[in-house]
Amino acid sequence: MSVTREGGWYPLMLSADLETGTVAGSAVPGRDLAVWRDGQGRAHVWDDRCPHRGMRLSLGFVREGALACLYHGWRFGAEGRCVHIPAHPDLAPPGTIRTVPLPVAERHGLVWASVGAAGVQPEGDPAMEAAAWLPVRSVRIEAPWRDVARAVGMPEGRRAAVLDRDVDGRVLAALLPVGAGACMLHLLAAAPAGVERLHDLADWGRDVRSRAEERAGRACLAGIVA
Amino acid sequence: MSDLVLHDDDLDEDCYRARLFLSLLGLEARRVAVDVVPGGEQDGPAFRAVSPAGMLPVLRIDGQKVCGAGAVLLALAHGRPEWLPGERADFARVAHWLHFAGGPLRATLLMRRACLFGGAGDAPSARRRAAVGALRIMEDHLAQRRLEGGTWFVGEGATVADVALFPAAALCRDWGEEYSAYPALRRWVRAVRALPGFVGMPGIPDYG
Repeated sequence: MSVTREGGWYPLMLSADLETGTVAGSAVPGRDLAVWRDGQGRAHVWDDRCPHRGMRLSLGFVREGALACLYHGWRFGAEGRCVHIPAHPDLAPPGTIRTVPLPVAERHGLVWASVGAAGVQPEGDPAMEAAAWLPVRSVRIEAPWRDVARAVGMPEGRRAAVLDRDVDGRVLAALLPVGAGACMLHLLAAAPAGVERLHDLADWGRDVRSRAEERAGRACLAGIVA
Repeated sequence: MSDLVLHDDDLDEDCYRARLFLSLLGLEARRVAVDVVPGGEQDGPAFRAVSPAGMLPVLRIDGQKVCGAGAVLLALAHGRPEWLPGERADFARVAHWLHFAGGPLRATLLMRRACLFGGAGDAPSARRRAAVGALRIMEDHLAQRRLEGGTWFVGEGATVADVALFPAAALCRDWGEEYSAYPALRRWVRAVRALPGFVGMPGIPDYG
C-alpha cells in the first residue's frame, strides 16, 4: 500500500458490503465516488456524478450489467461509457458520453481505489499477505482519521495495517478519511476466527469509536428528545 | 379484516409505516388524506374528533379506531406469529425494538420534519446527535447480527420490528445522513426492499 499522505490507494469499504448488482456511495478526500459491483462480480469506482445532469450515480441502480442513473435512466457500462439512453432507445450513444473510472483493486477483503500517482495495486505487507481476512464490520467515527490511526496503533503514514494490540489475535484495520473530521474504520479478522472472536472485534471497534469521539468532543448519545 | 380505512398523509413516515405493513400483508385500505403540510388538519376539530391526540395514522378496522403507528402495527400484527412471534424471548425482542422506534428513534423523525418542513437545515445540534446516535444503535445491532448470519432485527425472518424501524433508516438522507456511514443498515434496507409487497414513498424510490 502506498505511504503517500494524500493520493495513493484508499480502502473504501469491506468487499462483503458491496453485493453483486448494487451501488454504494463513498469518497476520497475532495472527491465523491460511486462504487458498484457488476453481475460478474467486478467492482467499479467512478466519480459520483452522471455526465448528463450531474445527478449522483450512487443513488442509481444496476441493470443488465450497467449502472443506471436514478434521474433519467442513462446507463453506463463497465468501462464508464454510456450504453443506453431510455428516451432514445435506438440511439447508439457516442463514446464521448462517459464517466471517469478510477483504478480499483480488491485485496485483503477490501475494495480499494487509487487517486493520483499510485502503484498498480495496493501493496500488501508480509503480515497482510500472511492470512486470509474475514470481514467484521466498518465503523463510522466522527473524529479525524489521524487521531484514530494513532489510537489503534497504525504505523505512521499507513492507511491499513495488521494490528497487534488491545485485542486477541491479529486484526487488519483500514482507515478511510471522510471529510476533515471523520473516518470509516474497517475491521477484519485473520481466518480462522469463531463467531465469538468476531463479536469481540466488533465490540472493540465500538470502543475505539466512543473513545475517539469523546476526545474529539463529538459524542453521539441516543435518547429521548423533543 | 374486511373493512379498512386509513387516515393518511403521503409525506408522513408514521403513515408510511402503516401503508408499508398493509402492503406487505396484502391488505387494501381505503385512504382518507389528511392535509398536514401546509393545512395543519391534524390539529383541527374534525380530525381531533377521530384522533384525540392528533396522532397519525389512524386505521379503522371494522369501524374501530386505532391511533398512531405503533398501535396500528401491533393491531395488524396480532394473530400473525410470522410477524409478531408468540414465543416469549422473541416477542420481548420485538417489543424492545417497537418501543425503541416509538422512543429514541423519534429523534430521526423530528430531524426529518425540521429539515423538510421547518427550514431547520442540518446544522449540528443536540437533536441531530441524538438522531445519529439512534441510527447507530440500529447499525451496531445489525453489524453484530450479521456476524451470526442474521439479516433481520429479530429471528430468522422479517418481523413487525423491521417494519417499524425501516422508514427512519431509509429516509435518513432527507436530513443529511448518508448510507455510506451505515453499511449494515444499507444491506438491511435492501433486504426490506426485496420483501414481497414492498412499497416506497416520496424519498424512498421504488425501482424494484
